[in-house]
Amino acid sequence: MELWVGAICLGLVYAFTGIGIFITFRVHNFPDITVDGSFTLGAAVGAVLIASGANPFVSILAAFVAAALAGVVTAAIHTKLNVNGLLAGILVMTGLYSVNLHVMARSNIPLLDKTTCFTYLQSVNPGMHPEVWTCCGLVLLNVLFWLLMTLFLKTDYGITMRAVGNNPDMAAANGVHVNAYKTFGLALANGFAGVSGCLVAQYQGFADIGMGIGTVLMGLAAVIIGESVISSPSVAAQVFGVLLGSVIFRLMIAFALSIGMNPIDLKLLTAFFVLLTLVISAGVARGKGEKGGVLGALGTVLKLRRFRYVTAGAVLAILAFLGYRHYTKGPLRTGQEYRIGVVQYTSHEVLDSARDGFVAELKRLGYQPGQNCKLQLENANGDMPTVSSIIDKFNTEKLDIVVTISTPCTQAAINKITDRPIVFTTVANPFVIGAGKTETDHLPNVTGAYGEARMDKIVNIVHTLIPRKLKVGTIWNPALANSVVHLGNLKKALASCPDYTLVETTVTSTSEVYEAANALNNKGAELFLLISDNTVFSAFDSVMKVARRNNIPVFLSNLDRLQDGTLGCLGFDFSGAGAQGAQLVDRILKGEKPSGIPFEHYRDETFGLNLDAAKNFGITIPDEFIKQATFLHKDGKRVPGPAARKAAEGPGPAVPGAHKRIALLVFNDNIILRQTIGGVMEELEKSGVLRKYNMTVDTKSAQGEFAMAQSIAQDFVRQQYDYIITISTPALQVTAQVNKKIPHVFGAVTDPYRMGVAKTSAEHQPNLTGVASFQPIAATVALMRKVLPNAKRIGIVWNPAEACSEACTYKTREVVKDYGFELIEATVSGTGEVPDALRSVLGRKVDIFFTSGDNTVNLARPTIAQILREKKIPYFTNAPNDVLQGSCVSIGADYVEVGRETGRMAVRVINGEDPRTIPIKDYVPKKIAVNLPLAREIGITIPEDVVKQAESSEKQP
Amino acid sequence: MITIRDLRKTFNAGTANEVRPLRGVNLEVKEGDFVTIIGTNGSGKSSLLNAVAGKFLPDSGSILIGGEDVTRKWDWQRARHIARVFQNPFTGTAPDMTIAENLHIAWLRGRTHYPRLGLNAGRRSAYREQVRQLEMQLEDRLDNVIGTLSGGQRQALTLLMAVLSQPKVLLLDEHTAALDPKTAAQVIKLTRRFVEKDRLTTLMVTHSMQQALELGNRTIMMNAGQIIEDIPLEEKRHHTVEDLLDKFAELRKTEQLTEEMLESLRREYA
Repeated sequence: MELWVGAICLGLVYAFTGIGIFITFRVHNFPDITVDGSFTLGAAVGAVLIASGANPFVSILAAFVAAALAGVVTAAIHTKLNVNGLLAGILVMTGLYSVNLHVMARSNIPLLDKTTCFTYLQSVNPGMHPEVWTCCGLVLLNVLFWLLMTLFLKTDYGITMRAVGNNPDMAAANGVHVNAYKTFGLALANGFAGVSGCLVAQYQGFADIGMGIGTVLMGLAAVIIGESVISSPSVAAQVFGVLLGSVIFRLMIAFALSIGMNPIDLKLLTAFFVLLTLVISAGVARGKGEKGGVLGALGTVLKLRRFRYVTAGAVLAILAFLGYRHYTKGPLRTGQEYRIGVVQYTSHEVLDSARDGFVAELKRLGYQPGQNCKLQLENANGDMPTVSSIIDKFNTEKLDIVVTISTPCTQAAINKITDRPIVFTTVANPFVIGAGKTETDHLPNVTGAYGEARMDKIVNIVHTLIPRKLKVGTIWNPALANSVVHLGNLKKALASCPDYTLVETTVTSTSEVYEAANALNNKGAELFLLISDNTVFSAFDSVMKVARRNNIPVFLSNLDRLQDGTLGCLGFDFSGAGAQGAQLVDRILKGEKPSGIPFEHYRDETFGLNLDAAKNFGITIPDEFIKQATFLHKDGKRVPGPAARKAAEGPGPAVPGAHKRIALLVFNDNIILRQTIGGVMEELEKSGVLRKYNMTVDTKSAQGEFAMAQSIAQDFVRQQYDYIITISTPALQVTAQVNKKIPHVFGAVTDPYRMGVAKTSAEHQPNLTGVASFQPIAATVALMRKVLPNAKRIGIVWNPAEACSEACTYKTREVVKDYGFELIEATVSGTGEVPDALRSVLGRKVDIFFTSGDNTVNLARPTIAQILREKKIPYFTNAPNDVLQGSCVSIGADYVEVGRETGRMAVRVINGEDPRTIPIKDYVPKKIAVNLPLAREIGITIPEDVVKQAESSEKQP
Repeated sequence: MITIRDLRKTFNAGTANEVRPLRGVNLEVKEGDFVTIIGTNGSGKSSLLNAVAGKFLPDSGSILIGGEDVTRKWDWQRARHIARVFQNPFTGTAPDMTIAENLHIAWLRGRTHYPRLGLNAGRRSAYREQVRQLEMQLEDRLDNVIGTLSGGQRQALTLLMAVLSQPKVLLLDEHTAALDPKTAAQVIKLTRRFVEKDRLTTLMVTHSMQQALELGNRTIMMNAGQIIEDIPLEEKRHHTVEDLLDKFAELRKTEQLTEEMLESLRREYA
């Protein structure tokens, strides 16, 4: 039912475009393709106004005016500058693309929670099915429009306009200003297209920069179908024919979908149908010409009828044939239990692997398509109206659950489906499209997995690999919502690397990518750092061609093309994202309510490095990166990296008794935490518990995001791991919140008492225990005084959102007074802000800069170290290994030792001790490390006894 | 009513295709004059009409209609005062619109357009009466589209449309040349009737010496972009087709006509 009603609704909103096309192509005999752009312009103007709270009806008016102006521009180019009409339309349409992006300020504006015309309509719904009621409203609107349009075409204006189109010479001879009427007609036509765009945006719940593509053809199909169904010279009949044609066109597509036709064939079918209609109407016209009189007319009518049946029959036969083929290839209909519909926006590497991952995981979870479930995989091939129709079809077929792959599909689905669960995946940011406000506060029937590519991490890696002044080039398509987000992240990340500058070029289609890559090379880009951009990725070979020719290294986000010589890639494993989607589907089908399932962040990150390429470019890859890599390209072959996820370790239902599983969560990948993990693993292996209990350890990093940490922790609990180990304060915080049962050992936590998981060492949350490693703040400040007797001010940059950092800073505030220092503070909320904060602190003449246990600031350590080195200011930190990354003096815990300590505690728990009875261990080591060359360089003398103390704790690098 | 002074026009100047249809035309037409224009192919007859209608703007010279200088005005601006009937019966009407609608376009000439349903019952009955004058039984087919009519019917309607809003000047450009003799005679009859009824100032280009002599009160002869003969009504009475041909023969003697041109004239007019 919804499928057909939905199709009629779509047809009715697109009918306005049909009338626009009717005015230009038929009335004016002017092939105007501005409509592709003005349709979107109407949507953009309408969406911007509605999003800012304007009345939706006013927004329709504004959309009309804006789009009409576009038509005026086309007319002016055509009439004043004597440019061919088709070309004028192409020019304006192309230009409008930029204008639309400016109007929207981004590529996609969601209208889900906004008041649209349809919200008003539903508020007076007398109790009908919402879609049917919408349809009634639209029918009424179209009837009104039909009457007004017919009347208009019969006024003096209308008659003159028709005469101008029909015979401009005659019109001019009768004193009609032909160009003025042409302009008027184009304005009117584009205005209607704008209204159509505005209505479509309100109907589907968002405006998108790409929504206008193919509108001209759709409108033309409506006009031609209308003419073949109703062939009458009467204006009323002609206008009615267009409205009807638009609806028939959408119904046709709905029918094709309902019989299971592959949407790939829809475009071909459309073209074929339009052609068939043209041929037949030409045949009918010839028949008319030959015969006269009443009998002849009757014959024509009969012939027309017969032809109509032939047309309908032919189309039905083709549809049925294609549908039959689809079914015979598709899943069987016997013994099915669950019906799952999957809609994918288009085909490319990322979406395809998400879909494949979804299907594979679903099968692994016991859903066998054709046996106990029916799985429908639909692909809209990049066409928004098709997405809409597919979702209507899902609605009609009473599926149990709908899975959306990609952002546009999710947007369309959450707008249309309210009565059954939706699980989305491959969505960078579900909050901007209105799927929810937070991970837990979201639309009641919607849940899914999401994640944005980590540009900061990529930049950090690249900066470690190439630590010098560098021009980083990137190519992106401003029309893609995700690219805009990713580019913003890239810029933010680059802000923390003052020696890196960004050069960018934009593209609108794959054909421009090669040129754009060349342009980047000409602008002097020394490295291509490509964000996850579907347009660029589709034409990736062009980028590679330019990069190879000019010997430019390439680093990628989300795309694995190491075999083609790229230096490295970092992103998400999208088949894992698909698998996450499948797990969510499983939970919902087993009875969980989507409203109670928080959005999950992607869990599996992939990190690939090409050692061959690195050798070619003369880049040395540090061992720590190789250790983190999930796969490597070495000697022309692809090999799994040390951090590869082993198949056996993959998430799945626990098999009690068979083996035990430890889940290890680390907040981010900074060096301190990696050392801690190293220590934990060392101890676990040494103790022999891994072999003894046939144990596996699943290590997950939250990539520095609380949201992701939360998802991972929730997943640990759901998967019923036997033990959980968390490294870092946020990891502990998040896990302690969701897990009250599974034994939990924590490490690399500064102050567990502040966080409320424990009151004292012995009195703590019953299922957890661990190691508290206090930063030796007092010792550090004492050391500062010893090294720099005349120093007055200590600078510190910290993130107040980090509990551990807060603890350190408060402690520092107390201690500095005792040693006669003044503490100059600046706060940040993200790594990207660190350089600015650092400069503001330096501007206040500090003598020493200090970072304690702040994860946000620690990620920017190489940058900080460099700036401080230039300014000759000593850098003190609380992790001895920091001297390797450019700190001057570091005093604190040896985190490998912290890890070992944590590991030993975990072994006790695994061997059967109750965490409740194990007191939290307070571990305060004071290991000193000194960077002597740096100290000499910036003119600081380290006292002999300090150097000795450092040497006794460990050898200097 | 019409004053033309030293009108000149060159198309494709400076190229191999250079054409100079008007090379200094001077003409004074009084109100109510019915001037027939004859001349060889390419002598500038049609160009003169197009220049008056405003199809193109002249290189130099001036055109005054009823004392108003319209030299630099566009065709649609002049159309308030000037009506035209073309040689091609398909040019003067909108084929996909009905008879009534076509007549309505003509009626709107020179009137301000409003967004109103102008083609009301009153106008329709007025048009029916007008169409009845054509005596072509079209008065009951007001809602038929023009495309279904014959060339003669369309040309008669174009003529009716031209005179519907009482123009100051009527331009007829060989408007019967494409019709069969019987229909042509019918259209000429209508032309005579309409012009006489409203005493319209008329310029009519024709290829028929007979028409040229029978119609109107003045005949001008064009050659090579200039007016070479101006025969007033009194003289016309005494002229025969042969006389006109003799005039052409005289031109031959003064070397103003080539042998081929004369031959083509004989073929066309005799």
